[in-house]
Amino acid sequence: MANPLRLYLACIKNTLEAAMCLQNFPCQEVERHNKPEVELKTSPELLLNPVLICRNEAEKCLIETSINSLRISLKVKQADELENILTKKFLRFLSMRAEAFQVLRRKPVQGYDISFLITNYHCEEMQKQKLIDFIIQFMEDIEKEISELKISVNTRGRLVATEFLKQFM
Amino acid sequence: MAYLKRSSPTLRETLLKIYCAEKPVEIDQHFYEFGSIQYHIKCSVSDTNIVYVSTSTLLETQGTMTLKEISSHTYEVIKQIAVGVIDIVDPPRLGFQLTLKLHLDNMPSGKEAIKIITSISEIQAIILSCQLKEMLKSLNFQDDSQAMNNNNNNNNNRLIRIVYHPSEPFYVFKQPEKITAVFPMNFRDKSDVVIATSFFQELVEVGNQKEMGKAPQCSWSPVPPYQLRGEPVQDLTINSGFVSFDITSRHVKGKRLDKTVWNLLNFYAYVKYHIKCSRGYIQRRMRKRMDSLVKLLNNTSLEEEVPQKENGRCKYIKELVKVPKGKLMMKHRFKEMSRRVKISRFRIKMNGCARFRFNQRWISLPKFSTNPSNKSYTKLD
Repeated sequence: MANPLRLYLACIKNTLEAAMCLQNFPCQEVERHNKPEVELKTSPELLLNPVLICRNEAEKCLIETSINSLRISLKVKQADELENILTKKFLRFLSMRAEAFQVLRRKPVQGYDISFLITNYHCEEMQKQKLIDFIIQFMEDIEKEISELKISVNTRGRLVATEFLKQFM
Repeated sequence: MAYLKRSSPTLRETLLKIYCAEKPVEIDQHFYEFGSIQYHIKCSVSDTNIVYVSTSTLLETQGTMTLKEISSHTYEVIKQIAVGVIDIVDPPRLGFQLTLKLHLDNMPSGKEAIKIITSISEIQAIILSCQLKEMLKSLNFQDDSQAMNNNNNNNNNRLIRIVYHPSEPFYVFKQPEKITAVFPMNFRDKSDVVIATSFFQELVEVGNQKEMGKAPQCSWSPVPPYQLRGEPVQDLTINSGFVSFDITSRHVKGKRLDKTVWNLLNFYAYVKYHIKCSRGYIQRRMRKRMDSLVKLLNNTSLEEEVPQKENGRCKYIKELVKVPKGKLMMKHRFKEMSRRVKISRFRIKMNGCARFRFNQRWISLPKFSTNPSNKSYTKLD
């Protein structure tokens, strides 16, 4: 892991460790309902201040916390057109299969590429530390995958171009 | 547009079916390939040795030549595929450019027949190649001075627009000492545009390398070359730029002409195939990465923690007491033997109580207390 990325991820990890202290809390508006407060935002007293962690303008992470839920929104770096297309394709691919991830939101928060929603139930079913590690690993993997895909597409294009021109010789 | 394989698989299959059939077959088949190429095959039961193959393609070539009809040179090339087997019917079937009459009785037997049938199924490739070959020949490299004057006087004078597919026209024009083929590239999907653009950049980069000196000079530009001024706006409003190949006299000499023509005809198909493969590759990678991420998330669940630990512990213990198989067997035998010796030396022998003999001290009977205060229930009044 590169040093600037490590710092960025360490900051997110520490923030998540602090923020992920969720408890069961029934909805105050609707009786016998239990809804993620971070999504509804009906009672301001149940919400904590959102934390925005920026690596640069193009890469940032928004952590919104409430009493029973936590929302993590990520914006991934897109340096050029190819990276932009690959990121969109990959994150859309993951969002379409959100049911496999449990904690993944089908639609990202506006201005971000992908969002996670962690409720107190997730924290009860899963190990908190491993869940945080998963988020960090997810971020690392996405960055790695996109840069690898970009290199592969360009290398593939180069090979195809060489083969095409060789046919004339 | 042309296609990567020269022969039409459907035409080849049908002709082979007719040729190999033991009983006479009645066939009246009409099909399209690649949206613009049309075929018709007819074989009647009354005369099984005669097969009619008709074909047509979209030809809207404009410029100095009009090639709506097939030239005599192309006819000659087609006839030369198999002398005595192929006859060209004049006039062709209504709605088609060319109709061939195949005499199956004159067909040689064995592998030769399959070779000839494959060549016949390449008929569209031959027609398309011949037209472009003639164009390249007609724009010969001798009259450079004349071409220069023509270019100065009127740019469109020697510009040829070739349309083998309605959405994929390309242009060929003469320049001093070279012929330039320009492909306006257009794609529907935005991701296709990005992949194609990166491919064109690589193509230009590879073309500029020293090793590729003998290949045609390749260039890519988002704006059309000035020679295309005055062409239809819909042809010039594209999203992936213009790719140009400069073909010199070297590329049209001898056998290279055939290769050059086929590569130019297939350029659109080649780029599209590359895009399709790249998209497939991206999809495969994404699927793989998703699986690994899902596995990672599944490891976080609390339920799996307990059995995992147990398994781990068992494994660890097993590893600690791991004994080679041979040694284990020997140990087991020694144990069994010593047990039997001990049993044989014991004075009183009782069937069924053998297992208690050495373990008597371990046997302890449960004590039942009679104290009523130890009862686990109380009577409710």
